[in-house]
Amino acid sequence: MPTDDLILVKRARDGDQRAFQTLVERYQRKVYSVALGMLRDREEARDVAQEAFAKVFKYLDHFKGDSSFYTWLYRITINIAIDILRRRGAAKGEHVELDENIQMDSAEANIGALGTRLGTNPQKSLLRKELAEKIQEALQEVPEKHRAILLLREIEGMSYEDLARTLDIPKGTVMSRLFHARAKVQKILSTYLELDEAKSGLGGE
Amino acid sequence: MPAAANCRVFGEKLSSFVDGELPASERISVERHLASCATCSSRVADLRAGSGLLRIGLEMRADEVDWRDFTKGVMARIASEPVPFAERWRVSLRELFTYRRGMLATALAAGVAIIALAPVLLRSPAGPNGYARQTMAVQSVSTNPDAHVAPVVMAGADGNAIIWLVSHKHVLEGKAPSGESDEVDNGTGRPLKVDPERKQGGEL
Repeated sequence: MPTDDLILVKRARDGDQRAFQTLVERYQRKVYSVALGMLRDREEARDVAQEAFAKVFKYLDHFKGDSSFYTWLYRITINIAIDILRRRGAAKGEHVELDENIQMDSAEANIGALGTRLGTNPQKSLLRKELAEKIQEALQEVPEKHRAILLLREIEGMSYEDLARTLDIPKGTVMSRLFHARAKVQKILSTYLELDEAKSGLGGE
Repeated sequence: MPAAANCRVFGEKLSSFVDGELPASERISVERHLASCATCSSRVADLRAGSGLLRIGLEMRADEVDWRDFTKGVMARIASEPVPFAERWRVSLRELFTYRRGMLATALAAGVAIIALAPVLLRSPAGPNGYARQTMAVQSVSTNPDAHVAPVVMAGADGNAIIWLVSHKHVLEGKAPSGESDEVDNGTGRPLKVDPERKQGGEL
């Protein structure tokens, strides 16, 4: 049975670097995936993930253990990624929209296309790789805060309660942001599938 | 209500339904609606398919990373980076204000209560300066300049002070019985005028 996160944190705080390494090995893939989903750039995602772990180690004394270790770790990861996105936006002279009341276009196109083409188990589909690439592209069209929620839910499988705690927002906002983020991504994927079908002249794979 | 009209009501809930995050009563009403609405059932199928895609896509990318090297990088980094004091405080305060508001509010309320009660708590019952005061402490002993006495203060074993007023004249006479010209103030070297009429001591 794997050692509990909080026990490892305590050991790491007492100077046991091996305990901290176990935490890094436990979460590194997921932290990297969240960072990659936020930024899309592999090098940047790697840097963000490493920085998140370094920061967590530095401030281990501030972690009181009244929330899960992983919610704290993801919170730090998301904050670093959002800082980078803001810097990116500022460098390009773009305004990065972070308003949570942003009106997202949730009009649906081609309802059921995704489900029909992929079934409930997308791993069996030949379209899997293609759409998996496309979905990362589609994610960049979603505002940062909505994107963060979707990633934490899909990659870590966080409960709405943990999402609310991690991002310091009400549970109702979690529900609403998830809905809008998914609607946006699905619209992009459905449109892509429609174009794909039109191109090939086929209704299926 | 016809199924199509219900779609608008259920639309936003479908995402939470797929995540298993709806309360039982709402989940049952969504399930009932899905049984009669092909469009919403298709939406649910889309949501499930899309959800798997995102995870798979990012896992594929994660497979390309050399994780041993990544771990090594993190461990090397934590061994080399000291924490700047200001940064430590900044993060600590951010953590406090963002995630420990309850504790902060309690501490603030306690602080306000203490400040409000402070005047009452600090008002100690001061005794009168006269004979009725329970405890008295010798702060200083001085004599009138023209009184021919020298105070000698000794601490008693029970905390009391014993004060002796020694007649200057008597001491000086004992040392130099020959007369006024030999009376010298200890320490200053100035001649000391002795008024034989002045008998009282000084004040506490």
